[in-house]
Amino acid sequence: MRNSTLIKGTAAIAVGAALLLGGGGTLANWNASATATPGTIVAGDLNVENTTAGVWKDRNNATINNIATYRVVPGDKLTFTQDLAVTLKGDKMAAEIDTTGISETSGFTATNVSVSEPELTVGGVDVLNPLVASAGTQTVTATITFEFLSTTGNRDDANKTYNFNNVGFTLTQVTQSGLS
Amino acid sequence: MRTKRSLQAAALIAAAVLLGLLTVQGTYALWSASASAAPGTVASASFDVALSAAPSGQVTNMTLANGQSANLAINPAATLSPGTSVYGGVAVTNNTNAGGTFNTTVTAGQPVMTNVSGGSLAQYVTVSAKAAATAAECSATGSYAPVGSAGLVSQPVAKGGSTVFCFQASLSPAAPTTVKGQAVNITLPLTARQLCGVPGGC
Repeated sequence: MRNSTLIKGTAAIAVGAALLLGGGGTLANWNASATATPGTIVAGDLNVENTTAGVWKDRNNATINNIATYRVVPGDKLTFTQDLAVTLKGDKMAAEIDTTGISETSGFTATNVSVSEPELTVGGVDVLNPLVASAGTQTVTATITFEFLSTTGNRDDANKTYNFNNVGFTLTQVTQSGLS
Repeated sequence: MRTKRSLQAAALIAAAVLLGLLTVQGTYALWSASASAAPGTVASASFDVALSAAPSGQVTNMTLANGQSANLAINPAATLSPGTSVYGGVAVTNNTNAGGTFNTTVTAGQPVMTNVSGGSLAQYVTVSAKAAATAAECSATGSYAPVGSAGLVSQPVAKGGSTVFCFQASLSPAAPTTVKGQAVNITLPLTARQLCGVPGGC
């Protein structure tokens, strides 16, 4: 009878399915994989260096070869220039350059000399902080003037010394939009 | 319930994050670098003026090591007779160690005559002066003139350069015999002054 075949068949399938279900195999769902290559992150740079010796010049813009042996007299005005090599790299890099000023050791009478604080310029123009990144190094020039005033009378301040000691310069990164 | 649990979890995370931020006390540091320059030492010159007397041969610095002004004795060799003169000179050298320009001018002030041992010779003696290039010119009688109130001012004397002041002391032809054998001290101030070396003026 058909019914019994059908029933048998169904039973067989059911059993078969049950056997499959009860079997020890795994079920595999779809899966796929891919790789990402984020690339290489490179850090920028910030540095300020004194790489060349500073130069002293007199009022006539003549170079003084050795300040240690040059002797000033009232009316002398000497100018010291120092180039600083500034490295700034980074897409959000910005930095301020500044000087810590002069801490001198002086035997001169204060009213007989006039010494300027270091002035910072780039390309002859006063530096405009903050400096931003550039491909190569930037040159910031520090300039100091020393004047032995012509109002010095008698034999005042003959054989005296004015030691500039170390003059410091700082380059400090400043936060920009996009940095926390 | 799942919703409540996830809300609770979210609240816990928020609290933890909040706490974490509050407890951070320090500043964050951005990059910095520093460099220094050493301009060196600037030294001032000496103001040395060397004096050399003729005929005495005495030499001295105008200013002594202790800061006092020097005295230079000229001491003419001959003695005075009425109507005669004796001569002497001082060579003045700008001996500075200045690095740049340092021109000076030297001024011989008016002489002061004092009698030695209470005599009366001074009133009969006149002193004249002239500027010269060498001390040898001092014994030549020409160009002598009395020293005015402004003094006798030399030409500018550059670094290492010299100038000479010559002095003539003359005894009046009318000097009486009573002054025979008397002596007189004659002093003159010499002053050196730096000339302005600033192009725009001092």
